[in-house]
Amino acid sequence: MSPEQILQEALSRYERPLIAYAKNITGEIESARDVVQETFLRLSRQSDLPSIVPRLAPWLFLVCRNCALDHRRKCIPFASADLDENFPDPQDGPDSIFFQNDDQERLSSLLKQLSQKQRELIQLKFHGQLSYKEIGEVTRMSVSNVGFQLHHAIQTLRTLWNQPPPRIHS
Amino acid sequence: MNTDPRLTAYGLGELEGADREAFEAQLGQDGALQEELAEVNTLIEQLQALPGDPEDELGECRRQELLAAMSAARVNCKSPWSLQKRTIVIGAWAAAACIIFGLLLLPAPFRDWRSGVEQEVAVTEPAKLPEIVLPQDFTDPAVTLADALIPPAEETVKMEPAPLSPTWAMDTSLQTQDSSTVKTLSELESKLLSQNRPADTPSSGSTGLTVFGTTLGGLGGSAGMRGSTFREGAFEQRAAIPVTGDLPLTGRLFRSDYGTENYATFSENSFRKVLDHPLSTFAVDVDTASYANVRRFLNEGRLPPPDAVRIEELINYFPYQYAEPTGLHPISIRSDVTRAPWQPEHLLARIALKGREIPVQELPPSNLVFLIDVSGSMKSADKLPLLKSSLQTLADGLRDEDRISIVTYAGAAALKLPPTSGEEKARIKAALAGLAAGGSTAGASGIQLAYENARKHFIEDGNNRVILCTDGDFNVGITEQSELVRLIEKERQSGVFLSILGFGTGNLKDSTMEKLANHGNGNYAYIDSLPEARKVLVEQMEGTLFTIAKDVKIQVEFNPNTVAAYRLIGYENRLLTREDFHDDQKDAGEIGAGHRVTALYEIVPFGQALPDTSAEGDLKYQAPQSAPTPAGTAQSRELFTVKIKYKEPTTERTQDLEYAVENRILEFENAPADFRFATAVAGFGMKLKGTKALGNIGWNSILSTAESSLGQDPGNHRAEFLALVQKASTLPAQRPSVDSTWKPD
Repeated sequence: MSPEQILQEALSRYERPLIAYAKNITGEIESARDVVQETFLRLSRQSDLPSIVPRLAPWLFLVCRNCALDHRRKCIPFASADLDENFPDPQDGPDSIFFQNDDQERLSSLLKQLSQKQRELIQLKFHGQLSYKEIGEVTRMSVSNVGFQLHHAIQTLRTLWNQPPPRIHS
Repeated sequence: MNTDPRLTAYGLGELEGADREAFEAQLGQDGALQEELAEVNTLIEQLQALPGDPEDELGECRRQELLAAMSAARVNCKSPWSLQKRTIVIGAWAAAACIIFGLLLLPAPFRDWRSGVEQEVAVTEPAKLPEIVLPQDFTDPAVTLADALIPPAEETVKMEPAPLSPTWAMDTSLQTQDSSTVKTLSELESKLLSQNRPADTPSSGSTGLTVFGTTLGGLGGSAGMRGSTFREGAFEQRAAIPVTGDLPLTGRLFRSDYGTENYATFSENSFRKVLDHPLSTFAVDVDTASYANVRRFLNEGRLPPPDAVRIEELINYFPYQYAEPTGLHPISIRSDVTRAPWQPEHLLARIALKGREIPVQELPPSNLVFLIDVSGSMKSADKLPLLKSSLQTLADGLRDEDRISIVTYAGAAALKLPPTSGEEKARIKAALAGLAAGGSTAGASGIQLAYENARKHFIEDGNNRVILCTDGDFNVGITEQSELVRLIEKERQSGVFLSILGFGTGNLKDSTMEKLANHGNGNYAYIDSLPEARKVLVEQMEGTLFTIAKDVKIQVEFNPNTVAAYRLIGYENRLLTREDFHDDQKDAGEIGAGHRVTALYEIVPFGQALPDTSAEGDLKYQAPQSAPTPAGTAQSRELFTVKIKYKEPTTERTQDLEYAVENRILEFENAPADFRFATAVAGFGMKLKGTKALGNIGWNSILSTAESSLGQDPGNHRAEFLALVQKASTLPAQRPSVDSTWKPD
């Protein structure tokens, strides 16, 4: 596969997951797009593309994460380098997402109730298809910690799912 | 809820080999587990199938842009020479532009400096380090109680029976003073301060100079910088200074202009419902700086800014008679429960930890690097001169096997004393005496030099420590806290710990120093006088300098059958999330030899009304369990369980400790003297902060409780506390109170 083909493939496969991932970190869509552009640009500057292909996903997510954190840091000079637990959620636009059924819609809204870190792990696992080990490398966490946190995220989703929907407070 | 991560790992295909076989074996025999696995697998499938948000794409315009840029990059990749050339040319232009631009912008004093004339930089506006207001998250799902241990018999040292009533009386003499007529200068200042401070409303977002955080019902948490408050919507940079330079001329009549002092803003912990938040997690803290700082304010005739009051540091200032650890662990835990004297329907629980004492002859050799700020701002008598005397006191106590070196920093770092054995006291003292203040501060490179020296002469299994002595002035060089923090964290990996000694007034960067000490596996003490220097550097030197456990975290699990709600008193800057407790990489607090750590919880027992300020009618409780609680079980007998994780100072392995606390209430007058005294100190802190949970309690109640629980009082610290309470009672209080009672989430 030629480098150009690799880049095209990478772009078509990972553009959306990366933007969603960056959006979770920076908090809004425009900066997420900036970050992802930068990420792919860096990919294109790699001199030995074929060697990256076997670990393309972790590479992309790691670079994306770093860019997103840098971006955050520049805008807010004193934020901690680590991802913190809560960040304002990206603005929930009118429901333009086409869900196949109510369950999907409900699951999507439950995801928003997780912490930012938990969402990040879920994105890496389910959008990026990264293994625990790769997730650990991207997020600088130990493998066992990744396992624990992902488990906790899944269990939280289960618990939330099994609860009756909340009453609306007046 | 299942807490075994293997369940999810298996569902995701992450279990392999022996682990997988073991899990499958267990699965085969456990029907309930199989059902859970089925649910997890369904959820996993659903997550895989979730469609993405349609806005998550670059858009045509950007994509074209990107494709063009990528092709260009590929072209250059093929001819690396042209890329380099291009980069160099662009770089040169950019650099030239920056330099020109920079020169135009530099203020006058700096330009003089650049022209080679060495001048002392006028300290006009040192960089304020604003605090980032970060949100917190506690979504703890319900967990099952851990197995309980029967607590060993607790020591109850009974002092003379207290003649006073167990409940604290309202202060009927308290009148809010109308500031229409101002009689004294301190009154004037208080009046001006209260005018400068906007009144805080609990539900509104706040910006700018808010001193009091609003409460967040049920939220606590941590950040890279520990805990603070979150406001909806924006990341605001908050100036965490109580008073700005807007202080009118009268402010300068006072001895110290604390207009450039810096305290982290945080809101006090509020009550949390056990059903929503069964776990309370925080990192241990043995810093005592806040007490010394509060004392400094009161001795000057002023009330301290509420953000300077960290209640846990006030309580932990005093040496208590706690049980020495025996057996495997270097930490002992005890706990007891009484009634809260300010609210007798509530309980007050004390968790007492003690670190193992090490006899002096058994202390490992020390490799100490003193990193001393000798910038111009350190000139005043309560700074460098005091520092020199303090360190000379310390030098007296050094042994032959100890090594000490001195690095100074001001403008540039210098090694003033290479590693010298504790035997050569004269040489050490001479080097100390020769220190003089001058120049501006560049904190970062000094720290690097100090750590380098500590690492170069590292003593295996010894006490390797950098001791940073400063008034907090980091106003030239790296002013970004986050970079400094990163540096210190990196260095602590090498096993060199960091302690921070704060000096002086008017420029104390309290929050910076606390933060750096936290990240450096060290402690932070504030030295305002020679007696305090003696306390920190001699009396409690082992504690200050020798760590016996690091990354110490506490997690308290409350029993919903016996506890309705709880409020952790203090430790707002130390809160952790539930996950943090299990995260071995998470840096937490350190305990030194002989250190005592006390944490107090105000507890609303099950069945009591929650301190709800809303006018809602009945409170709604879910039944904690559908089946009636069998009597005599852990569920019915216990109030909470304390879990502790720590690491031995030279390893990365985590150890666990657990301690279950029974529902046995001591009447306040029968509680140990140490407990009653700690309660008085807590009351003192709460009153200084204007904590609403304290209610309208008067100083007299606090004073008489303290008086009746003085005990042995080695070092006379408790007697001094009485004097401080009396001082505080004479100062006019004109502060809006912080609402820290329970609010619905």
